[in-house]
Amino acid sequence: MSVAESRNPDLAATQAPAKMRTMKALDIGGLILTLITVIFAVLWAFPIYWGVITSLKPESQVIAKTVEFLPRTWTIEAYWQVLVNTMIGRWYINSLITSLGVTAITLATSALTAYALSQLRFPGRLVLWYLILASFMVPLTALIVNHFILMAQLQLINNWMGVILPQLIHPVVIIVYKNFFDSVPKEYREAAKMDSASEWRIFSRIYLPMNWGVTTALAIVTFIGAWNNFLWPFLAVSKPEMMNVAVGITQVNDAFGVQYARELAAAILAALLVAVLYLIFQRRVTQAIMLSAGVKG
Amino acid sequence: MSDIVLKEVSKSYGAVSVLDKVSMHIQSGEFIVFLGPSGCGKSTLLRMIAGLEECNDGEIFIGGERVDQLPPNQRGVAMVFQNYALYPHMTVRDNMSFGLENVKTPKAEITRRVEDAARMLEITQLLDRKPAQLSGGQRQRVAIGRAIVRDPKAFLLDEPLSNLDAGLRVRTRLELAQLHNRIKATMIFVTHDQIEAMTLATRIVVMNNKKIEQIGTPMEIYARPATRFVASFVGSPAMNFVPVAAVSDVGGKAAITFAGQQPVQTAVPVAGLPTGNLTLGIRAEAARITHDGTGIKGVADVIERLGERTLVYTKLLDGTILVAEDEGISTIQPGDNVSIALDGNAAIVFDAAGKAFHAAV
Repeated sequence: MSVAESRNPDLAATQAPAKMRTMKALDIGGLILTLITVIFAVLWAFPIYWGVITSLKPESQVIAKTVEFLPRTWTIEAYWQVLVNTMIGRWYINSLITSLGVTAITLATSALTAYALSQLRFPGRLVLWYLILASFMVPLTALIVNHFILMAQLQLINNWMGVILPQLIHPVVIIVYKNFFDSVPKEYREAAKMDSASEWRIFSRIYLPMNWGVTTALAIVTFIGAWNNFLWPFLAVSKPEMMNVAVGITQVNDAFGVQYARELAAAILAALLVAVLYLIFQRRVTQAIMLSAGVKG
Repeated sequence: MSDIVLKEVSKSYGAVSVLDKVSMHIQSGEFIVFLGPSGCGKSTLLRMIAGLEECNDGEIFIGGERVDQLPPNQRGVAMVFQNYALYPHMTVRDNMSFGLENVKTPKAEITRRVEDAARMLEITQLLDRKPAQLSGGQRQRVAIGRAIVRDPKAFLLDEPLSNLDAGLRVRTRLELAQLHNRIKATMIFVTHDQIEAMTLATRIVVMNNKKIEQIGTPMEIYARPATRFVASFVGSPAMNFVPVAAVSDVGGKAAITFAGQQPVQTAVPVAGLPTGNLTLGIRAEAARITHDGTGIKGVADVIERLGERTLVYTKLLDGTILVAEDEGISTIQPGDNVSIALDGNAAIVFDAAGKAFHAAV
């Protein structure tokens, strides 16, 4: 282009407006796209915004017939009522314990299973691997009645273990771990073998630390999944003091009658931890989703 | 006492044979180099000695003890891998300590051994770094250090210089030779690089196609190759091979005639030489360009000027290319007629199967 301009000023003169036209067209296209994006972003964010500002309004203002995008009077009364008059603190503790339990046990068992499938040679290894792959095709909801019967027989209804155990089956975590362990060059394992390391030492000192990134990512998505899980904890627990946050907030309505500000305050409090976790570990969560989809980050 | 003895060791993967009845005796303190082209089985043999591959047949003894049924950690050997296999999340110190921790060595003893090895290899200042913070040469030293701290009966090195750039490779080669002189340990080094083999080895094991072609000192391998493969694989430029037209007996020694050329008197005894389909092998330094017109005749095809000498790729009358040497400052140009004097004492005769016939020692 620069050569053409220097040798033929007339050509350059005719080309310059063409280039500007293209840029203008691009600018207008970009502007329209940006506008569309903004509109969808506003549509997506509006319910959250509406939930937050409703929770900060007095109940009388919430049920007013006029639409008010900002509270006339700002108040945290709804939050105070939820914190004082419900068992949300207890539900938070239940959610934390069951979610951390699910995360820790799922990761530990999955990593060990994946290591065995990836690095050890034993009879039935392939059968086990195909069984794990096949279990992918069975949705958890299809097993929920069986889970309930089993947990009831084990007398684990209204019990943290009863909430945790059926949530430990995560074939995708095993698959992701196995893929990562498979990709570790075999020389590390051989070097460790020559260094007299036991299988446990190879797993815990070499393979696991070499894949801390994937462990962190899987831990976060497993934790968020367990925290947000509603169906199984709703079935496995009937005593309010054993409920997790997701199930507990359905009790707010019962406690106060129809009190929108308080219900929304409870919902926001329930989502707060996950939202904060997501904001802190955004990149890891994205990486984990890509890993589960078979894309290595 | 860390002799390594292999007795008819064989290895196959299913129907594919990789090593076929390999036997050798490596003396304690030797620096042995397994040399051969890719796929010849040299790395597999090293891994079998290490215990990383099982033997299908045969026996392996290290320090007099049969080890072919033992796991790698009970054989008393240490290995340096081609890519070093340094654990990336551990510091150099942790990498070097790992093996000792696994066998519950007391902490004070681990510290002493790691620091001694680090001093010997001049990597003390690197002990708290991670492998990613090291250069290729430093990683290589750490990998050797990790092997040294275990005080093994033998060191097994699988192409440890192949990931280094040319300059560093030469320097590290020298350091490796100095290290061997210092610690006098048995070392087995795998490479496909003949210069590494020639410069490092006390003895070279040349391997090809599942078996050992020759075991000998570097100069034996170079000057008296047992087979045509060894002759062609070792030496740069490769040995010249010229088809023999006729052999005559002159005082019990073979006088060799090439197509359309005058006979060349060699020191190879006629007795025992098979008849027909012979090839004469001669290295470039034993084929000198003459400036008085004597010797075999040809036409210069390609000239390679190397500074201290010039290599003249000469097309002989039958079309065979023979590489001859001239002085560093040579006036020969491509297309010139040249004459070459062959040093018959350095000539080797190969039969159709590639077996070498040498002058008597």
